[in-house]
Amino acid sequence: MKLPERLFSRMLLAYLPFTVYPYGFFRAGVAALWIVAFLWVTVAFFWFTRRLFPERSLKPAFFFWLIVWAQAAWTLTKLPPYWIASVFFLAPVSFLEDTAKPNHVRVFSGEVSRSQCQSIEAKRRLGPSKLPFWKRKKKFGRYFFERALAGLGFVGFVIMLSLVREIAEKRLGIHAFEQPAGMLLVIAVVAFLWKNQPYQKHG
Amino acid sequence: MYFLIIALGFLLAMRGARFVLLPRPAEGLKRVWREAADFFLTTSLILALWAFAMVFEKIQANAREYAILGFGVTAYLLSRYQKKTDVFFLSALASVFMISSKQCDLSQDVLLAGVLSAGVGIFQTCFLGLRYKLLFSHVPAPMKGWPVLCLLAGFIALVLGCPWGPVF
Repeated sequence: MKLPERLFSRMLLAYLPFTVYPYGFFRAGVAALWIVAFLWVTVAFFWFTRRLFPERSLKPAFFFWLIVWAQAAWTLTKLPPYWIASVFFLAPVSFLEDTAKPNHVRVFSGEVSRSQCQSIEAKRRLGPSKLPFWKRKKKFGRYFFERALAGLGFVGFVIMLSLVREIAEKRLGIHAFEQPAGMLLVIAVVAFLWKNQPYQKHG
Repeated sequence: MYFLIIALGFLLAMRGARFVLLPRPAEGLKRVWREAADFFLTTSLILALWAFAMVFEKIQANAREYAILGFGVTAYLLSRYQKKTDVFFLSALASVFMISSKQCDLSQDVLLAGVLSAGVGIFQTCFLGLRYKLLFSHVPAPMKGWPVLCLLAGFIALVLGCPWGPVF
């Protein structure tokens, strides 16, 4: 089982705006949960309503949606609006395109047989709108699964880094962790481990 | 402010441009500083509009209450007008929000916008230069990609944080 590098880059880029928050472990966890809940609601909302928008106004509508919710969160909870950048990186705007589909690279890498490859290629050629309804429904499930995984990964990533920061800064008194430098060096170690994760074949 | 400089510098270095001119550092350097100047002008313009809105007592309360909405829409329209990336728009919104939350007068706000833009420009220049140097060195395969990029960003953040920490 090997997690793809794309997932890591999404989590990392989403975490960067998060470093601006001066939050401790608990508040960082709550903020990360809010970001992920909002991400899932956004993906579901735009998946079902994107056909209602004129093609050219879909992307501005997405950003307006983000700005309005940033304003609402600020008014209600005084949460500064940096979190919308995290949502943006977790849900790249490509999902707004009408031809949006899950990437055919598997989330958990495994060998794809020649016949499977051919069937995937055939489905790609067919296009999403020509697929029967029950297959499109399946596609949505898989598409949402990738976003759900990115969200869960992000929460785990934030909790892990907040914990490391809490221990290194408060218990061990390492000054580098009062700055983003310390966290970036920890992230470099995580990136190294992620990139070089061992590949294990099942069965 | 320093945290925002590092976060935005790294984000803009990775996703701020549609293509990276890594083999031609001179052009890349020009692009970095042109982007930093655009960033400064965009944030300063939004802050000036904000200060202008604050002059009128009738709209002052509403402008304060819906500040994020106003900043966001203005930043989005200005970014689209300049054909900038989405990351530029989000960065401009974050910067304007942080500067406005300090509640200084316009001249101090513009000064802060200048410091922030210069900081982002310096970070990106160092990052571009180090990435260019790495092109000609033998980075081991397991370290290529995100590990080495995060390491570079960490070192730059460490260096910028030591002498210039009080400035930011």
